[in-house]
Amino acid sequence: MASTLFRTIQIHPFLLYPTALFSRRNGVLYCTMKSSQTQTATQEKQQPPKVKVPQHALKKTVDKITRDYEAIIGIETHVQLSTLTKAFCSCPYNYGSQPNTNICPICMGLPGALPVLNSKVIEFAVKLGLALNCKLSLNSKFDRKQYFYPDLPKGYQISQFDIPIATGGYVDLDLPLEFGGGHRKFGTTRVHMEEDAGKLLHSGNGDYSQEITSLTSIYSYFSKHTVDLNRAGVPLLEIVSEPDMRTGIEAAEYAAELQRVVRYLGISNGNMQEGSLRCDVNVSIRPVGQSEFGTKVEIKNLNSFSSINRAIDFEISRQALLHSQGQSDQIVQETRLWEEGAQKTVTMRKKEGLSDYRYFPEPDLPEVILTQEYVDSISNSLPELPEAKRRRYEKMGLSMQDVLFLANDMNVAEYFDETLSSGADIKLAANWIMGDIAAYMKNEKLSINDIKLTPQELAELIASIKSGTISGKIGKEILSELLAKGGTVKGLIEEKDLIQIADPVEIGKMIDKVISENPKQLEQYRSGKTKLQGFFAGQVMKLSKGKANPGLLNKILLEKLNGQS
Amino acid sequence: MGSRALLMLTNFNFKATVSSFGSASNPFFLIKNNLRIRNFSTKTRSSLQPPDLPGLAETARISLAPNEVEEFAPKIGQVIDWFGQLQAVDLDNVEPAIRADTEGDNLREDVPQTFENKEALIASVPSYEEPYIKVPKVLNKE
Repeated sequence: MASTLFRTIQIHPFLLYPTALFSRRNGVLYCTMKSSQTQTATQEKQQPPKVKVPQHALKKTVDKITRDYEAIIGIETHVQLSTLTKAFCSCPYNYGSQPNTNICPICMGLPGALPVLNSKVIEFAVKLGLALNCKLSLNSKFDRKQYFYPDLPKGYQISQFDIPIATGGYVDLDLPLEFGGGHRKFGTTRVHMEEDAGKLLHSGNGDYSQEITSLTSIYSYFSKHTVDLNRAGVPLLEIVSEPDMRTGIEAAEYAAELQRVVRYLGISNGNMQEGSLRCDVNVSIRPVGQSEFGTKVEIKNLNSFSSINRAIDFEISRQALLHSQGQSDQIVQETRLWEEGAQKTVTMRKKEGLSDYRYFPEPDLPEVILTQEYVDSISNSLPELPEAKRRRYEKMGLSMQDVLFLANDMNVAEYFDETLSSGADIKLAANWIMGDIAAYMKNEKLSINDIKLTPQELAELIASIKSGTISGKIGKEILSELLAKGGTVKGLIEEKDLIQIADPVEIGKMIDKVISENPKQLEQYRSGKTKLQGFFAGQVMKLSKGKANPGLLNKILLEKLNGQS
Repeated sequence: MGSRALLMLTNFNFKATVSSFGSASNPFFLIKNNLRIRNFSTKTRSSLQPPDLPGLAETARISLAPNEVEEFAPKIGQVIDWFGQLQAVDLDNVEPAIRADTEGDNLREDVPQTFENKEALIASVPSYEEPYIKVPKVLNKE
């Protein structure tokens, strides 16, 4: 990222960039002076530097300023579909393939080649449209979006313009408790089908190649540009949100919910690092109470939910500070890049008027026609979606924290549901999955589908503890063995002779043995050092190899220690 | 390079016809009963403005010498006029169509098929440097 900034300076020495470099070096100085209203603030100057303490101080001031403004946030999300082939040709697509191996005359845009739509793309679009509560267009069409960029072999992108396959709709979500909690509903304007462009790379002097995000005209003028067309023509669904979000966390949670939805639907792996889920965010602010919108700034290069959150909050602060200093005219319509390393947004490209994409209907593709029967059959085949799952878990009496954890990953939710259908207690099953099982998966870097413990055996384990057959402590021991090696709870209990000792006579005998072997401690106990009860209990438990029922043990032990026997 | 130039040219032709319609009601994709259209007079005067040719060339990323502009302008004008005739078609009783279309979907199963003659594909790339295709830097005028 640092090299990006550096290259930027090389190309546009006349713009603000040298200031950016200056402010990076002098971040600490700037922050100590920021309260001074007279200081001329360029948009680059209020970026919090990496130094910890001043950043905190800056945040305080910014919080105060941002309270007077309301942010309006909208998100465009591109979801790469997990079809086996591309949108308009039969080329296979696999992330990470050798460059320029999954190509053909169609996706290379060679003259005379004609596109034929992949039926799965329609199916996936309908699934997503239904999942987002959209109105589906039974008749829609493809259009050509013309622009010239080296990653676009045809000179146009096949997309949908005025009649997208789905419109309207909304996303329901619950904010995590650590961010204040609460339910939110954000509108989705439209969902449309389109094709991806190739991957543009530029290599500097070294032999490494770095991906260039779309339209980054600020990148080096001097380095080599190459393209990998494997991704050209891969199907995407673009989801445009209503400008309903107000904070970075709301936007990040919206994106996270979209990821859950596409994963539940099985239409995309939703992986942000691989670029299967890409979010471009639009942010504008306005003084609280004002009805018209402020100037919109677009942010790109957001590779994680937390970067969405932080980039937006940074951008809100930047714009609010400019407003508060009477420099709102410096908020211009532009595209800014989020720099993860520097934790700030920087100008990528200023927009001069709207781009003229000269859309027109794609003459090589027929109209997309959906029948109501088709839509209904897909509607009937939809899985239970994250929102429905959360509401169901909530009704079962689980806490919101449990609900969010369990419904976050479809496979975890399925595991939980199966454990319940094997008769397990709801809260206990949730606790085991969120506690020991989650910890094991994290340590071993496994997903829930990789563990050897079946939901049925988890239910059996919970039942065995609840019925008193084994102690909770033994239960945990069995669990680790089941997680790693599999097997059955009953088998392990028998094999290792782990059945809890709940016979008072047998426990009494063990207590007698321990007491008689420790006359000194008994004397101390009886002369007032009652804390030694713990010592005796530990000795008895040890003697029973952990199998004694702890409640019973303590009850009988107390009687014996205080009694005459 | 040959195919690239050809591509440009096809694009150019398209844009010449299309962009000149601008945001007008795009009559040419409403042609469903095209037989009817043929019946109309061939000499309807177009209400469409001829395009600004140098501007058009610029959007299509091709350079035209002044004498070429002179040469092409009347030809483009003719094409516009020809399309302009469609403006006169009475569509009052015609159901609006999204597309001029053939009946039925033309869809493909999601079954991978590798294109075999990859060598020819790569050989036709003007500038190739294993394993990448070398491309011009930025084509957008920004």
